[in-house]
Amino acid sequence: MPNYLCMQRSLPIEDAEKPSPTQMQEMYAKFSAWQEKFKDNIVDMGGKLGAGKLVTPESASDGPFVEVKELVGGYMIVSAKNLDEATTVARELPGLVGPGSGVEVIEIHTP
Amino acid sequence: MTAPGLVEHFFRHEYGKLVATLSRRVGVRNIEAIEDAVQSALMAALESWKVTGLPDNAPAWLFRVAHNNLMGDLRKRSGRRRILEQNEEADMEPPYNDPEVFLAGEVRDDLLRMLFVCCDEAIPVESQLVLALKTLCGFSVREIAHRLFTSEANVYKRLARARGRLRKLSPRLGELSGEQYASRLPAVHKILYLLFTEGYLSSHAETAIRRELCNEAIWLGTILAEHPAGQVPETFALLALMHLHAARLTARQDGSGGLLLLEEQNRDLWDYQEIRVGLEWLARSAEGDVFSRFHAEAGIAAEHCLAPTFAETRWDKVVENYALLEQVAPSALHMLNRAVAVAELQCPDAGLAVLEGFEPPTWLASSYLWAAVLADLHQRCGNTETAEGYRDVAIKSAPTTAVKELLQRRLRSTD
Repeated sequence: MPNYLCMQRSLPIEDAEKPSPTQMQEMYAKFSAWQEKFKDNIVDMGGKLGAGKLVTPESASDGPFVEVKELVGGYMIVSAKNLDEATTVARELPGLVGPGSGVEVIEIHTP
Repeated sequence: MTAPGLVEHFFRHEYGKLVATLSRRVGVRNIEAIEDAVQSALMAALESWKVTGLPDNAPAWLFRVAHNNLMGDLRKRSGRRRILEQNEEADMEPPYNDPEVFLAGEVRDDLLRMLFVCCDEAIPVESQLVLALKTLCGFSVREIAHRLFTSEANVYKRLARARGRLRKLSPRLGELSGEQYASRLPAVHKILYLLFTEGYLSSHAETAIRRELCNEAIWLGTILAEHPAGQVPETFALLALMHLHAARLTARQDGSGGLLLLEEQNRDLWDYQEIRVGLEWLARSAEGDVFSRFHAEAGIAAEHCLAPTFAETRWDKVVENYALLEQVAPSALHMLNRAVAVAELQCPDAGLAVLEGFEPPTWLASSYLWAAVLADLHQRCGNTETAEGYRDVAIKSAPTTAVKELLQRRLRSTD
């Protein structure tokens, strides 16, 4: 099965309210249920993306990354039969697809 | 939905524990920075544990992160050196510099200390309650507003008053003396009682929400009863009454959320484990020669719990306890309750006789309770016209639909 790179893209929301501890526990529970359901699909839980540099023959600069940093929240890698299945896995991830955020699902071609 | 590996309310209760522990260590006047640091730590946990799974010692993990957040923040705010000077004692002790050392036993003491900090006489009671719900129970402003039937703006206002007071406490004043523990104990009892009744008497449609507040009060009450500062008969009586009331909480509603009268309740639905625990606390409360309002109220609750049927209730004991309650905590409401019990013990006329010539205070006269009791007693005495008048007032002033329906049923069905 091919692997897919899932990149979380978020659009900045103004004044997003911080979740309460109760809501956090619910989020954790939902997330755990998701992990259990798709455990065969999850290759790498990935993580959040931090600061970076763009390295070119001339220099290493913060360049375009500044822009990208705002948009890409995190990544993970899932395996799936096809793009549709990979999309389903990503769509069901709690809190990932919602107002102001979405996931880019890209197939990774391996020779 | 439950999270695997985590107890119910883990995040919420860890919030309270961390706020309490960090407040002791850096001083409660930093309460805002402390709450921010704890909130961020929980968020970090959520992100991190998703990927790595739960750490072996989740509370210690949270403590380390919250502690680091807080130190970073305080350093930024006023400079590390000044913080060290202000909190020399607490800050320089070896355990403090080693966040790995995080003792579970200390945490209960910290929670209790924070409860007494909340019950500062310079903070109005309604602000004390909100402060306790926020800092100890880990509810958000929106959740508190939802539970107390008030606006978020109002909760913010009450919190601001409380925090304003805490900010003014000098580092030294932050530490409570033995006398302060003793002098604030009645206020602590009051807050726990209030927290419980907010849940128990609330007209909130969701039982689960009401139950939650009751459980928080019992949780904090139990911590109080296990600590030397709180081991007095009043604390035990308070716990007794909370358990005995909680035992009947579920049975108070029918399947569709409507309220049920005591005589309509299915006694099989009562939680007999809760009753047993309540009676144990009641037995412990009998030591010494103190008789508090909690003793009287627990005594009444116990009589109801122990009666096999409504008719078999020992109304003489109930009347006796209401009379005692009126002595230790004079209130027109208690007198009204005694009248109801007397009506059951003797006859409706005797109940009315209790209230004969009594002018109810405005708050009671305008409440549905007063009108409903008079309507009921007059109806049972055959004073149909008087009963009708009170009945209309009662139904008109019913605070919720559930109460209105209950009154319509009750005041119609009796002849």
